[in-house]
Amino acid sequence: MIRFRNIKTNTRMKPIINKYFVVVLLAALALSGCKKIFDLPSEKDYLSNNVNFSNKILEPIIGRTNLIGGFNSDNSTNPITFEIVNARFGDGKPVTDLFTTAPTYVWTAPYTGLEKSLAEIEAKRKIETHQIFEMRSSGEFILWPSATNQILKPRPTDSTNLSQDTRFFDVKVKNTGGERLIRDFQIRPYRERPYEPSNDFNAFTGLPAPDPKFPLDKKLRDYIRPYLNNVIGATSNLNLVSNNDKKDAIVYIRPLTSGGNGHTLRIVVLGKDSLPIDPKKFNETVWAKMIHGFNMQMTDKYVQYDVAYPIPLVEIPTSYATGGSRAKVELSYSRLGFGGGRTVANFGIDFAIYKAGDWEIVFYFKTENPKFANE
Amino acid sequence: MKRNILLYTLLIVCIICGTNAYSQERNIIVNGRVIDKDTKQGVPGVSVVLQATNKGLTQTNGDGKFSASVPVGGTLLFKFLGYNTASAKITDQTNITVTISEDRKDLSEVIIVAYQNRPKETTAGSVTVLTGKDVSDIPVSNIETLLQGKVPGLNIQNNTGAPGFRGSVQVRGLSSLSISGSGNDSFLQPTSPLYIIDGVPLDADKAAEFGFQTQGPGVSPLSLIPQEDIENIQILKDAQATSMYGSRGAYGVIIITTKRGNSKIPRIKYVSNFFVNAPPKLRETLGGNSERSLKIQQIILNAQNIDQIRRISNTPFLADSLNAYWNNSTDWQDVFYQTTYNQSHNLALDGGDQKFNYKANMGYYAEKGVIKNTGYNRYNLNMNMEFKPNDKFRFFGFVNGSVGKQNKGNGAGLLQSGVASNGQASTLLPPPSFYQASGGVLSALQTLNDNNSRNLRTNIDARYEFIPGLAASSTLSYDYTSDTETTFTPAVANGQFAKLYDYAGRNFQLYNRNSITYAKTLGEKHNFFVNTFNEIYKQGSQATITQQERIPNDQLQGPVGYDGFYSRGGGVLSNYRNATIASFAGSLSYDYDKKYVAEFSYRLDGTSSSGLENPYSKNSSVGLRWNFNKENWLVDKKWLDYGSLRLTWGQNIAPTGNLQSIYGIYNLNGNFNNTQTIGINYDLIPNPALKPTTTSQYNLGFDLGFFNRFSIVFDTYFKKVDNLLFDRFLSNTTGFSRLASNDLGIANYGSEISLNIKAITSKDFDLSFSVNGAYNRDVLLKLPEEYNGQYIRFDGSAYLQHIVYRVGRNTLSNYLRINQGVYANDSDVPTDPVTGKRYQTNGTFFNAGDPRLKDVNGDYILDGRDYEVTGNSQPLFTGGLSFTMRYKNWGLNVYASYTADRTILNNALADRIAIMRDPYALNAVVPLNDLNIWMKPGDDAKYPYPYDYSRYGAVQPLRADQTLWQESGSYLKINNLTLSYMFDKKLIRRFGLANLRIFGSTNNLITFSKYSGPNPENVTTLGRDISNGYPVPRTYNIGLNLELNTGN
Repeated sequence: MIRFRNIKTNTRMKPIINKYFVVVLLAALALSGCKKIFDLPSEKDYLSNNVNFSNKILEPIIGRTNLIGGFNSDNSTNPITFEIVNARFGDGKPVTDLFTTAPTYVWTAPYTGLEKSLAEIEAKRKIETHQIFEMRSSGEFILWPSATNQILKPRPTDSTNLSQDTRFFDVKVKNTGGERLIRDFQIRPYRERPYEPSNDFNAFTGLPAPDPKFPLDKKLRDYIRPYLNNVIGATSNLNLVSNNDKKDAIVYIRPLTSGGNGHTLRIVVLGKDSLPIDPKKFNETVWAKMIHGFNMQMTDKYVQYDVAYPIPLVEIPTSYATGGSRAKVELSYSRLGFGGGRTVANFGIDFAIYKAGDWEIVFYFKTENPKFANE
Repeated sequence: MKRNILLYTLLIVCIICGTNAYSQERNIIVNGRVIDKDTKQGVPGVSVVLQATNKGLTQTNGDGKFSASVPVGGTLLFKFLGYNTASAKITDQTNITVTISEDRKDLSEVIIVAYQNRPKETTAGSVTVLTGKDVSDIPVSNIETLLQGKVPGLNIQNNTGAPGFRGSVQVRGLSSLSISGSGNDSFLQPTSPLYIIDGVPLDADKAAEFGFQTQGPGVSPLSLIPQEDIENIQILKDAQATSMYGSRGAYGVIIITTKRGNSKIPRIKYVSNFFVNAPPKLRETLGGNSERSLKIQQIILNAQNIDQIRRISNTPFLADSLNAYWNNSTDWQDVFYQTTYNQSHNLALDGGDQKFNYKANMGYYAEKGVIKNTGYNRYNLNMNMEFKPNDKFRFFGFVNGSVGKQNKGNGAGLLQSGVASNGQASTLLPPPSFYQASGGVLSALQTLNDNNSRNLRTNIDARYEFIPGLAASSTLSYDYTSDTETTFTPAVANGQFAKLYDYAGRNFQLYNRNSITYAKTLGEKHNFFVNTFNEIYKQGSQATITQQERIPNDQLQGPVGYDGFYSRGGGVLSNYRNATIASFAGSLSYDYDKKYVAEFSYRLDGTSSSGLENPYSKNSSVGLRWNFNKENWLVDKKWLDYGSLRLTWGQNIAPTGNLQSIYGIYNLNGNFNNTQTIGINYDLIPNPALKPTTTSQYNLGFDLGFFNRFSIVFDTYFKKVDNLLFDRFLSNTTGFSRLASNDLGIANYGSEISLNIKAITSKDFDLSFSVNGAYNRDVLLKLPEEYNGQYIRFDGSAYLQHIVYRVGRNTLSNYLRINQGVYANDSDVPTDPVTGKRYQTNGTFFNAGDPRLKDVNGDYILDGRDYEVTGNSQPLFTGGLSFTMRYKNWGLNVYASYTADRTILNNALADRIAIMRDPYALNAVVPLNDLNIWMKPGDDAKYPYPYDYSRYGAVQPLRADQTLWQESGSYLKINNLTLSYMFDKKLIRRFGLANLRIFGSTNNLITFSKYSGPNPENVTTLGRDISNGYPVPRTYNIGLNLELNTGN
């Protein structure tokens, strides 16, 4: 109303000019971003009051890729940034080892399982230096495989969860709409388990695991056990088995002591006399397509590949790891059975090795050798 | 401009009757003729008034001739409604010819404000007036269709072609965010303007309570008004103009005045239209063997294992090509869609003069839908009568009776889902016959659906002027509608048992208004006008349905309810209403010499549906107007016809709740101690403090007319809708789950401009243009506190097209996955640097040919967290263009309308491509050559590969919730094109005709748009192009206007 009067008095004084003034005023009013005039709220990113994590106790395993999700953004607007703050032990000591940086592999192109050489595989990943523990934009926690027991002290070997042994931290969730502090996450890393199955040692102490049947008998221990199909004992003519009661065959997954080049996987079969059985006896084994390795060397003691670690490289189904998370070693052989029919036997193990190096997988027929002879 | 003062004085202020006889002067007999400036024809019924005494002497006859005794030196005035008043000074001549011209000047118009006629130049509101001509010549079932693009700020989208149904109407943007239904059925609660027909309010949203799932006939009350009977339509947009209409005027007011009798001699006018409705271009389909070979090719080329190829042999319609049952090429769409031939007739009879006039209008309109088994018929008989023996007393009454008969087929009217799904059937199937067709076909074509909406509206209105300036008037009207629907589905169409559905509803409104007005002029220049009135509404409606799922046979179609086991429904539907509204309103207008105008008004509405603590809603307004052309420094500028500035503020407060939200819902809760108990429903906590929705609006307007050729109207406004109803979810410790609260607010701001140019006006040739446009932007102002500025309305349907409300943003945004193209090669799929896995969804990695959907949160997994706010389903720009040309007896009108800057979700295309997802299904296949589809590695395509049926379920490349389907809904539509020829009057007089005009016209002629779907307008109010919607037909019409020569 005041503006109205102003126009009127002005226009009386300078008629023509002020008529244009009116038009200009109207145009200005129409065109100027009306938001300012009307005091409208401006749009900002949404950050829900209910952002949270479904799990605040993180129990990763050191030495492998750990990607831990659980962030619920409640439809908050991305990009959201996450920051780990106030990392401390339960007794207030600051935590720094979580943020040690170390070089680690980062994938740049998808692994398919069809790569023809180690170089082709290596071309799909590169080494970057990262904090061993960090968060990415999706709100997922990453504990990179570059972490080791030495860098990051694992949870106590006595399996206690005392506050002073536990690392606590808070997460600051932020976008342009605001920020939230989510408090008191705990990280309790398990010590390295460089391979799976890892039932042969204790997850807390790293020492040999007790026999599941007689856990108190210190003389006995647990072993990794292969699967056996139609493997007949050479002397007993019975099917060889490997279970809690009877262990005709066991498996060792262990570092190779000699003959490696830093990225080797060797497969060895030992007889009951602990001497290697010639791999050629496993005549039905598809050696070339069993492991995604190259430069296969077959001697009369072992078969050895140059491989890229971890195995499997990426947890996707390939012909080497049909389920995705475990590669497979399967040895098989055939012989003439009763009645002259050919009978096929096989044994093997689904395994994974996370730590790069020279490894061997040893099948050890403890009680008797498999029977190769025809009936 | 002086003329306006005169008119004002004549029409509103009581005429001061000079009784002095000028007996000393000499009288002569003057013979003369009054002719129309344009047509050069005599104008009958013109009042000849002696200026000195202001006394009517006579009226012209059918030829426009008159004869009167006039004192020499006196001045005669010639007045006729809708024409400028002409004058002639009588000196000695006894034979004069007077030319009067049609009054086209905007500002001298009389408009209706708060039920009173007021000169437009003394009102401050934003008002647009259309004449009956603007809604003639195109036969439509609902006149709203024709208002599209003619009024800036009135956004009409004719988004359904279903005969008898309405499109969407919004005045100045969104006023409600209430959405019901999900997926394609999401339905934005309409906020239609209040319609007032001859002084009686009417609820245009009446048939829309149930969203798309219309219960009952669904005939819009507006579809019962014959377009031929409309004299003018007035659209009130700003709150100052509407506040006197109270809460019901919150969404704008549209006032329709029907024709009055105005001819000394009775006139008989006849309008007839014959029109053809053609369905739009339908989906292209591959027929017969092409379908089979495409499917087999698709299966073989995309098979992932041998079993998928073997399955061909086990699929009879693919393998058994020689079987007569599978060896067809049926065009299923042709089974359902048709071109229809329709007609409408209207006969009007009117007569009388200003003292007494009458009118009767009979109308018949029949339209068959382009989907078979649908259609709309209307029968009307409207009569009115006005008796005004002198200036003190006026009596007006009307009786309107109409019957709307609608046939919805087996669909719900707006949606024809059955037709849509059956239209996709495989062409290999045999064409429909009684024994060889799917139930769906028979259901669509043989369902007997009979809907009737019978409406009777009556009104009487009387006015008496006690002393000059002080008048009382009273209006009483009764409006009764009876709605019935009967649907009979024969046994073959319903699993061997016939089905019957019966709906019966009734609606009434008793309405009374009493008003006192007082007009007074003080000291020549100070004009006051006081208008007070009260209104009482008594409204009721009740509807029931009965449904019999199985009836014994096709012959027995009633009575229903013989078997309790198969009876469904029954009882009173939720649109039950029994309401009373009482209102009191008053306004004061003041103007100083018609130069400075100030208006104030206040209105109280008490309704039974307001919360107990806020029973009255209070509507107030202020309006200021400055007619600057009357300032001394402009009054002598000949080029300036008029110019004014308007500034208004007003508030409309409308109750939002219903009885349930205020008082809660009480249910029978079983027995306690053998006594029936009644307890509250714990879903909704009662909220007696529920506040009414408050719409307040500022409007700044500017009118300018110059050189008698150009006129500009510009309005800019800010409209704030506060206290909108919104559910708050309560903590479970309260025991209740929801609270109906008022914590939602939206704002609309924008500008409207309309420009009219009369380029050429001459005897033989007229040419005029007009352009109008409106820009409206809506912003969400607030949400309940705990939402923290965002609320997502998740879509529970398979479409997953969520709607997000975010404070500070346009109110209705989509919440979708962002499509960034198609992966040309497998290597384009990103790899998670941490895990080394490719980008994946549902455990399946993306491949070449899959859509490139944005991984919003960066976890390399596409899931429910990868949605973003995008798009705006409401248009920012709307408007229209018109072009009118007359050359001698030929006339050409073109009306166009446009909508720009809105987002449409092309679900129809998504559904169309997705037909290919399962080659083993008995579905049609569609040619996709016209689309830029990925076909081989390296293709830089827009649409993903649709043929990979094995991975389809996991990857869902054609998922509806992606921005791939988001397209611009901008369009320019040539609505109407009318070519007419008016026969020469002398020629047709020989055949006993006074007027004969023939015309050809089209409706929905052509739409220019970049939109890839069939029609960017045929989408829901939420901007979804749904494949089961009713297509908008194109209409070609030949019509005839005829007036019998009843004079002499």
